[in-house]
Amino acid sequence: MAEVKTLHFESNPPPFGHEMRKCFSFDPEYINMNHGSYGSLPSPVAEAIKPYYAMAEANPDLFHRFTSIDLIRNVRERMAKFIGAAHTDEVVFVPNASHGLNAILRDFIWEEDDIICSCNTTYKSISKTAQYISDIPPHPEYSQFTILFPTTHNEIIENWRTYLQSLNEARARSAHRLGRRPKIVAVIDSIISVPGALLPWKEMVKICKEEDVWSVVDAAHSIGQELDLNLADADPDFWVTNCHKWLYAKRSCALLYVPKRNQHIIKASFPTSHAYISPKKRTGPNFVEQYEWNGTLDFVPYISASCALDFRAWLGGEHVINAYCHRIAIEGGKRLAQILGTEIIDQDQDFQFTLNMVNVAVPFPATMSSDFEIDMAFRRKLLIKKKIYPAFFYHNGKWWTRCSAQVWSQVSCLLHSYFPHPPAGSIPGRRF
Amino acid sequence: MSSPQSIEPVTLDDVLKPNQLFRHHRAVKFGHDFLQYYSFKKGFLNLNNGSFGALPKVITEACNELTAWQEENTDYYYRIGFIPPLIGVREQLAKLVGASDVDEIVMVANTSTGMGLVLRNFLWKSGDIIIRCGSFDLSSCDMLGTVAQSNHCYVGNTTYGTVYKTIQYIHDTTPGVEISQFELLFPTTRQAVLEGWKEHIDKVKQSAPQGSKIVAVIDSIVANPGASMPWKEMVKISKDAGVWAIVDGAHSVGQEPLNLSTSGADFFVSSAHKWLNAKRGCAFLWFSKKSRDIMLTTIPTSASYVSPGPERPPTNIISQFQYNGTIDYTPYLSVHFALQWREWIGGEAAIQEYCNKLAREGGRRLAETMSTQVMDPDGEFTLAMVNVVLPFSKEFSATYDASVSTALRNKLLSQNMFAVTFYHQQLWWTRVSAQIWNEISDFEVLGKAFVSICSDIVAEHENAHIPPESKAESFYSYLEHPFQGAVAYDPKDGVGAHRPVTATTVVPVGYHTHLASIRP
Repeated sequence: MAEVKTLHFESNPPPFGHEMRKCFSFDPEYINMNHGSYGSLPSPVAEAIKPYYAMAEANPDLFHRFTSIDLIRNVRERMAKFIGAAHTDEVVFVPNASHGLNAILRDFIWEEDDIICSCNTTYKSISKTAQYISDIPPHPEYSQFTILFPTTHNEIIENWRTYLQSLNEARARSAHRLGRRPKIVAVIDSIISVPGALLPWKEMVKICKEEDVWSVVDAAHSIGQELDLNLADADPDFWVTNCHKWLYAKRSCALLYVPKRNQHIIKASFPTSHAYISPKKRTGPNFVEQYEWNGTLDFVPYISASCALDFRAWLGGEHVINAYCHRIAIEGGKRLAQILGTEIIDQDQDFQFTLNMVNVAVPFPATMSSDFEIDMAFRRKLLIKKKIYPAFFYHNGKWWTRCSAQVWSQVSCLLHSYFPHPPAGSIPGRRF
Repeated sequence: MSSPQSIEPVTLDDVLKPNQLFRHHRAVKFGHDFLQYYSFKKGFLNLNNGSFGALPKVITEACNELTAWQEENTDYYYRIGFIPPLIGVREQLAKLVGASDVDEIVMVANTSTGMGLVLRNFLWKSGDIIIRCGSFDLSSCDMLGTVAQSNHCYVGNTTYGTVYKTIQYIHDTTPGVEISQFELLFPTTRQAVLEGWKEHIDKVKQSAPQGSKIVAVIDSIVANPGASMPWKEMVKISKDAGVWAIVDGAHSVGQEPLNLSTSGADFFVSSAHKWLNAKRGCAFLWFSKKSRDIMLTTIPTSASYVSPGPERPPTNIISQFQYNGTIDYTPYLSVHFALQWREWIGGEAAIQEYCNKLAREGGRRLAETMSTQVMDPDGEFTLAMVNVVLPFSKEFSATYDASVSTALRNKLLSQNMFAVTFYHQQLWWTRVSAQIWNEISDFEVLGKAFVSICSDIVAEHENAHIPPESKAESFYSYLEHPFQGAVAYDPKDGVGAHRPVTATTVVPVGYHTHLASIRP
């Protein structure tokens, strides 16, 4: 079986901080504060995948019919171990998290009085997916759970339980009327996008089980940021993550995890594969085969996930990388909040929501509009003019900025965006 | 984000430095000299452009630049940068295919995706009918031909596997949606096809319940066999009867001239990475303004999605297609360079003329070399792909045996060449793509190779100790045979050779059959 070559490095990696920019191909004038949105491709990974592109052109038939399929199985095995799945065949590649989540949500056979629920903080395209599912016959109900920061993990857990219990009461009433029991499907973020916040998703998944609710976890930001993933333990019903965000794979590359017990829910990949078998004629799952081929793509991004893991091992491994990023996020967030005279979104909750993304309030007056035009203004002034851009978002009456701390980041980066000429002595020892 | 129409399209020449090759050199003539522009392994005889296309070196380099641009300032690229060039590409394609407006064209990853998007956007109701093309299995399978884990019956279908199965999936998950199968068997004539199609449409129309919709999936160019269909006439027959016409045009763009706004079709999907030299993962979906109303959502649904109703702008679907999940836009943007490349090497007409002529002549030469015959001697169905019978005896070919399919594929690859092989109407065939790097001698080389490959396979079949129950009596009984997992090619491979078992437990039939029908 073809195997993805392990990357070998001649020298030691550069130290974390600005030196690490050598391993990436950013415009020298660009300060990357928003790794969280689209990820970044390390140059060694970009180099390492060139042979696979060469293979794809040297003999397209051999590559697409055999070699790439073997290689991707190889990588799936590695990724399954990495996320603690019990079996390789519970993990397949999809182009991105939105795609994986859409495939799952569409695989449910929706009926009237079913409930699909997400949060006000759910990623917009996924709430729109839920909205769409509700818009078309048979119009299952779309319900929303509210999370407002500042809050705490415990508060969210308690509220989640209460919320699901209330949905169950509604379901009991429907069941009585219909003579059958509708289903409830909940989309839960492991790490919310905006704000960039780690949720107590494992506890929320447990509560879903207690309340007989399907848990579909949007873990887009998890792999490479959340340490020690163990899906066999956490046992969500479905789980999707982007490898091209915090894991450094090439865009676009994501994992879809479906434990064996739920693979019967999977009707069809999108697009439907040649390997699709009518559900009533199946004698086993029809999951992995459908995702192995369902249209010609550039498959090299899937292969790059393995190269990305090798690169991260060279940097010191998951714990070392994330310890650095986490530290910069907290320290940088504190400095930024100090200089802006505002606050970090979870500073009074011991930063329990903060991994590598930190959310700091923007010093606007309370009357500032929530209009999207404000975000566009930030793009013009920061992204285009000053070549720096952390994400901006409006939440619970305030504008916030979400900064991603990465292996190239330093605390000074967070300040530069607001102060091109930092006040003398404000950054000890650093000349930015 | 501003609506797409208010953003000025730009071309990538404004963003990246223009390619030097085009400026300072003239292209060589078509034929073997042309191989210098491609990255094939030395000596690889590529007679299968149709499946996966081939990326010229120049465009590989352009794609590397596009990737570098993407990594330079990723936020700029994804929030602002890619949009004007993407609209520019859509405009270029709109001109090329005769769309009447840029907003009739959106980009998708491949034809399977485009077709899936259209079929899944219809709001299906009980009584609706979807027409696809396939032949009923001649021996033992029922109409939809699924037994146990087999999904094999569609080996006889002409509607492409992923589309065939999308229709199956819709039927399976929406109560009351019926499938109507139009039998399309080759060899045939264009006239016979059209007469048969009209008869079929009339019959379906007559028996359809009141208020139901009928949706026909029509191939512009069938994959197996590689056959250019009278699709415009088929579309007209469909439209005249009030039937929706969705055209799977995967092979069309770059292989035949298109004028979609006058075609009458409701939807048309084509892969740019096949015959148009774009990077893999690039196709377009065309819809008339009327048909656009069917398209409620992209898949995945975009953050720009607006629920149907008075608030929803008519162009909402266009905004949705612009961004609906992080993807690499490089394949889409590569169309810009692909079109420049095609101009530089001689232009659409010259390319298509060369390929069509070579397909006809090459097919004849191939048939001579193998002492068999061309499927379409009059050339009614032949553009750049030609189908020729393989030199097996009628008796040997009488029953389908998937191990023959595997052996053909493996042995071709072990000889550093490739053409598609398929089973149709109780014969084994090869489908050969004629491309601008091919010459007539390539067909002779292929023919000689097939003569020895086929006689080897027959010998192995006779001599190998294949238990009778492993020789297929029908399409499915080979399930018992231990062909498991990915089959790495081995020059000594043949029927009965031990195959490595991979770590996964992929159902063998699914794997083999999907290999047999990978978009060829």
